Amino acid sequence: MIFLFIIVPLVLAALMPLLGKISKRFLPDLLANATMLFLLVFSVISAKPLIANGGVIQQAFWFGAPINIRLLLDGFSLFMLFTISLVSFAVTLYSIDYMEQYGAKANYYALLLLMIAGMNGLVLTSDLFNIYLFLEVAAVASYALVAFGQGHDELEASFKYLMLSAVASAFILLSIAIIFGLTGGLGFGAVASGLKTLNIKYVVGFCSGLFLMGFGLKTALVPFHTWLPDAHPSAPAPISAMLSGVLIKVSGVYAMMRIFLNVFGLTPALTTVLTVLGMASIFVGALAALGQKDIKRMLAYSSISQVGYVILGLGIGTPLGIIGGLFHLFNHALFKSLLFLNAGAVEQSTGTRSLDQMGGLAKRMPLTAATSAIGSLSIAGVPPLNGFWSKLLIIIALVQAKMHVLAFLAVLGSVITLWYYLVLQHNAFFGKLNDTWKSVKEAPFWMSAATVMLALLCIIIGLVFPMIIHSWLQPAADVLSSGVAVTLNFIGF
Amino acid sequence: MNPQNLSIPILVPFLLALISFLLPSRIKWLRETVAVLGAAIIVYIAITFFGQKETFYTLPWLGHGIDFELRLYQFSQFILLALSGFVFLITLYSTVKMAGHSRVREYYGYIFLTAALAAGATLANNFVPLIFFWEGLLITLYALINLGGKNAHRTAVKSFIIGGFCDFCMILGIAILWSQTGTLRMSDISVLPQGLLAVSFFLMMIGAIGKAGAMPFHTWIPDAAIDAPVSVMALIPGALEKLLGIYLLVRITLDFYKLEINSPFCITLMIIGAATIVLAVFMALIQKDLKKLLSYHAVSQVGYMILGIGTAVPIGIIGGIFHMINNAIYKSGLFLAAGSVEHQTGTTELKKLGGLYRAMPFTALGFLICAAAISGIWPLNGFVSKEMIFHGSYETGYTIFTIAAWLGAILTFASFLKAGHAVFFGPRNPETPQVRENKSPIYVPILILAAICVVFGIYNWIPLKFFLEPILSGHLPAGETLNFSSHALALFNPIAMISMGCLLLGLGLHIYGFKRGGNKAYLVSEPIHHLPVLNTLYNWAEARVFDLYEQGIKFLQALSSFLFKFVDRPIDFFYERIVVSVGRACTGILKAAHNGYYANYLAWTIGGLVLIVWAIGALLR
Repeated sequence: MIFLFIIVPLVLAALMPLLGKISKRFLPDLLANATMLFLLVFSVISAKPLIANGGVIQQAFWFGAPINIRLLLDGFSLFMLFTISLVSFAVTLYSIDYMEQYGAKANYYALLLLMIAGMNGLVLTSDLFNIYLFLEVAAVASYALVAFGQGHDELEASFKYLMLSAVASAFILLSIAIIFGLTGGLGFGAVASGLKTLNIKYVVGFCSGLFLMGFGLKTALVPFHTWLPDAHPSAPAPISAMLSGVLIKVSGVYAMMRIFLNVFGLTPALTTVLTVLGMASIFVGALAALGQKDIKRMLAYSSISQVGYVILGLGIGTPLGIIGGLFHLFNHALFKSLLFLNAGAVEQSTGTRSLDQMGGLAKRMPLTAATSAIGSLSIAGVPPLNGFWSKLLIIIALVQAKMHVLAFLAVLGSVITLWYYLVLQHNAFFGKLNDTWKSVKEAPFWMSAATVMLALLCIIIGLVFPMIIHSWLQPAADVLSSGVAVTLNFIGF
Repeated sequence: MNPQNLSIPILVPFLLALISFLLPSRIKWLRETVAVLGAAIIVYIAITFFGQKETFYTLPWLGHGIDFELRLYQFSQFILLALSGFVFLITLYSTVKMAGHSRVREYYGYIFLTAALAAGATLANNFVPLIFFWEGLLITLYALINLGGKNAHRTAVKSFIIGGFCDFCMILGIAILWSQTGTLRMSDISVLPQGLLAVSFFLMMIGAIGKAGAMPFHTWIPDAAIDAPVSVMALIPGALEKLLGIYLLVRITLDFYKLEINSPFCITLMIIGAATIVLAVFMALIQKDLKKLLSYHAVSQVGYMILGIGTAVPIGIIGGIFHMINNAIYKSGLFLAAGSVEHQTGTTELKKLGGLYRAMPFTALGFLICAAAISGIWPLNGFVSKEMIFHGSYETGYTIFTIAAWLGAILTFASFLKAGHAVFFGPRNPETPQVRENKSPIYVPILILAAICVVFGIYNWIPLKFFLEPILSGHLPAGETLNFSSHALALFNPIAMISMGCLLLGLGLHIYGFKRGGNKAYLVSEPIHHLPVLNTLYNWAEARVFDLYEQGIKFLQALSSFLFKFVDRPIDFFYERIVVSVGRACTGILKAAHNGYYANYLAWTIGGLVLIVWAIGALLR
């Protein structure tokens, strides 16, 4: 059952280029969207009841013989699956109209589906090596997608991204090798129980450092963030949304937190390092975003800043902090993909990404302007939108953990966020309509449909957030806050 | 009575307000018909409610003692009836007077909304709904004043802020009362004003007398007299606000707090009352505009009511409440008469009027009866209630308050002699040739009100027995009964003799002034206006030196310009210059650091790794 999450997108990714020979647009659009819708519905309707009594493990069989692939579905992974599916659905919906300009839709969908298969695999796997494996699957697809436009900047950004990611992957692999050497196992349960019997805290600390650098680079934590401001703006808008919305969280935050909290166990040292890195990301990202003239680059820096909040919340390690961090992860997936999609709509209509050249677009693109305003207010933490509640939870968790200085800084970071999003809104959408854009048109139907859906979700989730927390976040946070204990049950594997 | 019916007096006017807002403006007669019929329904409801047994209605709402509670009993029945009567008469009057107004749709809507809110405030038996309705009245008043002339908005804001201040005091008082007694149900509260409760008494008292328009919360009324539509003046400051404010004041002094005769609280009330009577009537005396003159009397008469209630002796309290209803009747009548004159002549300035009694006989008759009533001429209703207040204040032993009330009576009579003389008698002013009596919807309400003045005076046992004595019946020692009607019209006792003497003095002042002013009626008050010290004070008052609102606005303007220059600008400088430049500087550094070189970025990555591993190692130790 759980295998469908990986197999369906993988098989379709393989079929897609062949289908492209038959139908250039219609079939790829239809199948990609159907797949995403299926995954979304599947994660809500079928997978949710499966984990009613805690995590489940499924063993892969090859012609009747068990092979060494086991998938683990628990609250945390299901939460991530749901987030991935939701954003991917919005993105494929948007791509129907947006990707017309690029051509080669079938190849595009193939790469997108491959990336989704990689991410789904990453969140479902139950051993360290498969984490590395799926990480690379998703990453390779994303290198290709960043370079999809094949212009100079795209290729340079993609290459830089590839070269830095390769370093990260190498260190991740090194760390996995050290752990395998020490414990003799790769499964989460085996590693956790192995480390428990050994007294090697410095080696574990070293490995933590390697993981932190490797996954931190995938997450774009400061100072490993340098690839992101180049790579995310260069990709086509839906891919920017995908990368900033979910990829950095799955391949970075998810992997890091799964290993640190459920396998290694969170130590005070790690908490300190994580919160400091989170705070550094918040400020470097926010202040760098403030100076950007390129709308997508500003959003990319903003992603660094917002992921800082996620890491900050999760790094505290208290149940409330974890809920806050996960909630912010989910919210950020929604509003950052919304904002990137809007930026794509603006770029498609005007042909520019420079905030200086825009102005007054609200008159010509009212839907885009409105949804963008909702996204901006939400990410800046204006009540009652969803971003407000998640930031509030993180700040409350910081206060409860007696980290008052960090709580203050988190609020300050939020103020800077509001600052540059007001700059964005003002320069792009408000004010006098620039004469150049007299004939600009609103985005096509499917693009608007995707952004309106995400904007509505931002509002609705802001209004009914206790329900979301109860049904989706609490099970995920329970897994993380129960720490190593939950993993030790899987020793048999 | 079915408890659920208690919400009908609130809901029906509310529905009428909705209908009035929605009715298309093209069909003219329809709106007027609906308004008059609707007002008649409201009166009918109030009549059916009158004389019912005490009824409670509770609708659970927010919990914690905050529920939607209504209570119908003798006092609220009476107020409800009076309110509805005024709404009906004013609506009838407005059908002609407001017919040409461009925003007449809103006018009727707000009038009915006012009726709904006033009924709610009267029936409320829980402080939270009371505050809701009370505050709502502030908004409708604001809206109604706004329908007036071009300066109306300023006056509307003024009334709103003054009312808001008074209501804020009342809310604060209620909050203290709540914290001390633990209940918000009005019928459950009966405490001695000690400690914090004394503070809450004063705060709630400000809310009540502020609504009634006592000094120093009166200053918007003379402004509104000029700016607001005259029917609004007749309805709201003339009648509704007196009824509600005094109703609440009576509830405070009789029910919520147990006051001893001549306790500091009573003395305070009496001082406020006496000061309001004297100061406002002095202002009224010198006014040269009929509406403005009336508006100062609207303030001055509140003083009598507060004085009467402040005496805390039964005859004084009943006198105060009786004066409340009497004043509402004749003051409404006077405002309506002024409106009637204004409708024909286009002005209410005394200088431009004169000799209208032939042209407008009904208006003149109504005005004269109401003026006689407000002046306290035997045997009209004003005489009865004023006598009761004189008696009450005399009984307390503080004769000074009685003397102040007499002084008020002299000047009231003098100023109405002036007003009546200047408007209706003397030579016709050549500037207003084409004057004839208005249509019946304008003069009929005036005559009805005048007739009630006569009936309530001569047959004063009717209001006393049916309306007023039941109010006090629960507050008397067992076995004692009240009967005021026996001596209400008695002339042959020292106090009544002095009152009559006061009226003669007023007449004397008028004749003296008339002679001095070169036989021009609008100048009769000039001798008093130009008395040495008074003249200075009058000049100050004309310059609004005593208007707390205007002075407060001046103070706030000075304060805000100070704050702007010495607090806001520095803070602004901090944000505009320092924060922005720090932000820019940080951004600049970061932009310079992100130079796009792979080697550079790789170095950061590796450096970061080394740093993290070192930090973890150090932290693990």
